[in-house]
Amino acid sequence: MRMHEPPIPAGHAAVSKTPAARRALIGPELLPALMVFAATMVLVVGMKIANHSFGSFDQLTAIMVTAIFLVVASFGQGLIILLGGIDLSLGVVIGIGGMMIAGLTRGSDDALLLAIPATLLCCAGIGLVNGIGVALAKLPPFIITLSSGITFSGVALGLTAGSSQQSVAPALQKFMNSSFLGIPCPILFIILFVLAAWLFQNRTAEGRKLYAIGSSPGAARILGLPIAALTIAVYTIGGLCAGITGILLAGYSSSATLNMGDALLMPSIAAVVIGGARVTGGSGIYLGTFAGALFLSTLSTVITTLSLSQGFRDLVQGGIILIALVLQSGRLIVGSR
Amino acid sequence: MAKSISLIRKMAGGGATAASALLCVMFVIYALHEPSALSLFGIGNVLNNTVVLALAAMGLTLVVLCGELDLSGPGVIAIANVVVATTSTGTLGTGGSLAAVLAIGAAVGCVNGFLVAYLKLQSLAVSLGTLIACQGIALLVLPAPGGEVSDAIVNTLSGDFFGIPAPAIVLALVGGLWLLLKHSRMGIWLYAVGTDEQASRLSGVNVRATKLFAFVVSGMCYAMAGYVYCAEIGSGDPRISDSFLLFMYAAVAIGGTSLNGGRGGVIGTLAGAGILTILQKMLFALGVADFYTNIFNGIIMILAIFFGQLSALLAGAQRLRKA
Repeated sequence: MRMHEPPIPAGHAAVSKTPAARRALIGPELLPALMVFAATMVLVVGMKIANHSFGSFDQLTAIMVTAIFLVVASFGQGLIILLGGIDLSLGVVIGIGGMMIAGLTRGSDDALLLAIPATLLCCAGIGLVNGIGVALAKLPPFIITLSSGITFSGVALGLTAGSSQQSVAPALQKFMNSSFLGIPCPILFIILFVLAAWLFQNRTAEGRKLYAIGSSPGAARILGLPIAALTIAVYTIGGLCAGITGILLAGYSSSATLNMGDALLMPSIAAVVIGGARVTGGSGIYLGTFAGALFLSTLSTVITTLSLSQGFRDLVQGGIILIALVLQSGRLIVGSR
Repeated sequence: MAKSISLIRKMAGGGATAASALLCVMFVIYALHEPSALSLFGIGNVLNNTVVLALAAMGLTLVVLCGELDLSGPGVIAIANVVVATTSTGTLGTGGSLAAVLAIGAAVGCVNGFLVAYLKLQSLAVSLGTLIACQGIALLVLPAPGGEVSDAIVNTLSGDFFGIPAPAIVLALVGGLWLLLKHSRMGIWLYAVGTDEQASRLSGVNVRATKLFAFVVSGMCYAMAGYVYCAEIGSGDPRISDSFLLFMYAAVAIGGTSLNGGRGGVIGTLAGAGILTILQKMLFALGVADFYTNIFNGIIMILAIFFGQLSALLAGAQRLRKA
């Protein structure tokens, strides 16, 4: 049928110019995102039927507010996975971000304007180290991020002597609890963040270059794309996102511990995978990742509401990753026919 | 074919020899610092600390050799640990819990292997999923540290037979089994699939069966590691194996196994595990604080992989020149 057209990888929907190809190719990218949104709705409605006290407006707002951490963290993770990499240091960087903001502000707003940039710079620096290891030293991403995570958590543990820090600047706590025009600030933040993330990943030239590198590094090199620079930039953005998550998490829980980000590492990867991105890189859209993050946050709240144990949460999360992978491979097989 | 296989073997021998030499040097330095290390008790002590990592890393080596990655090890070790801690004194007994644990390891390996080999899913993502699921199951079996490991297991695995420490026997058995495997058809297939999957398939290698085999055996190795670990700590803790992953990969990389597959072997990994264990003991003996040990481990890991990559590049260059 498409003899005259070169085969286009699924991730290149937006690059293609012909309307027919665009119509045919946007579907498989958007479908998982819509499916996950639908699953989230089903989860909420199902819980509402089973338990009438669940699903009040306040509770839905609370779910959205707690989703903020995963939404931000999984954007960085998603970009890295888009390049075919993975970031296993994310949990540690979140913890370091939280500890730094708490340690620098020491419960007052005075130093906040300096503390936030310093914290973000430090977290982006860890991402930079990861990126250099992957792009220039050509080490496998999971190795370099696993080792840098352990190394930097050692540094942080040494500097703080393992103590949990003093309370966080009140302004941050206020930000997480206040509303603007009746909408909680964190939700406004999510909306702005998602808009910016979507624009960057799916509507800019740089974003498209990432898809090109992820789906075929060899072709990207021949085209002359700055692979090393973009890879380092993406890992730096990943570190930056983890830093933002750490600051928000510190503001939300009003104190910081070094291991508070650990619980977000696996969900951040799961959100990307559930959203329909291939772990080998080059596919997936940010809306899918966002849907995955919302779904996992809702699921987490549901599991807490049902007072099921942490073990059950892990089991469900692992199972969901596996199921999403299997569904994905099924879709790829169907799509290739 | 035969020529290329012998070349592969030679390169594998190179990594293992270097690692073994390094192990000897490290042991001498350690013994100079701590003379008691040379006694039978001291050697048994080192072996006792090595054997868990060695077993787990050996399983990982098989998967890495055939060109895949596996993160599920710590999950299987955690399940094995809590299952033994909850059943070995009661319902299942010593042998029953060993059988149960091996069956669990094989089952997890089967899930990984099936999804990777037959559904062509990426091994990193699949094993990440099974890792999380396994950790969840371990927490469901035993929500908090506790439980009890039967005295029979502890005494057998930390004792000695006719003056030979039990861990030494376990390691010798494992090494022997590996040598048998390496010279069997499956062993040759492992290297072939890891070197060039497409070419192996075209030459009639059953790639799927090879990968499934690697994952199942590795799952059983992790389970065995978890079982032996029980003897060492004497109780159950669902979270205790979380930090194992890095060490497993470090042992594999230091032992000269290429993370791209097709090059290396279990003997090198055993030496790698020994090096890491002695390194920890030296850091401990020098009184280095825990967090500095972490920094050290992270850097050692990166260096090990980096030099592994370099030597792989050099070997590749040599092969090109010869061809």
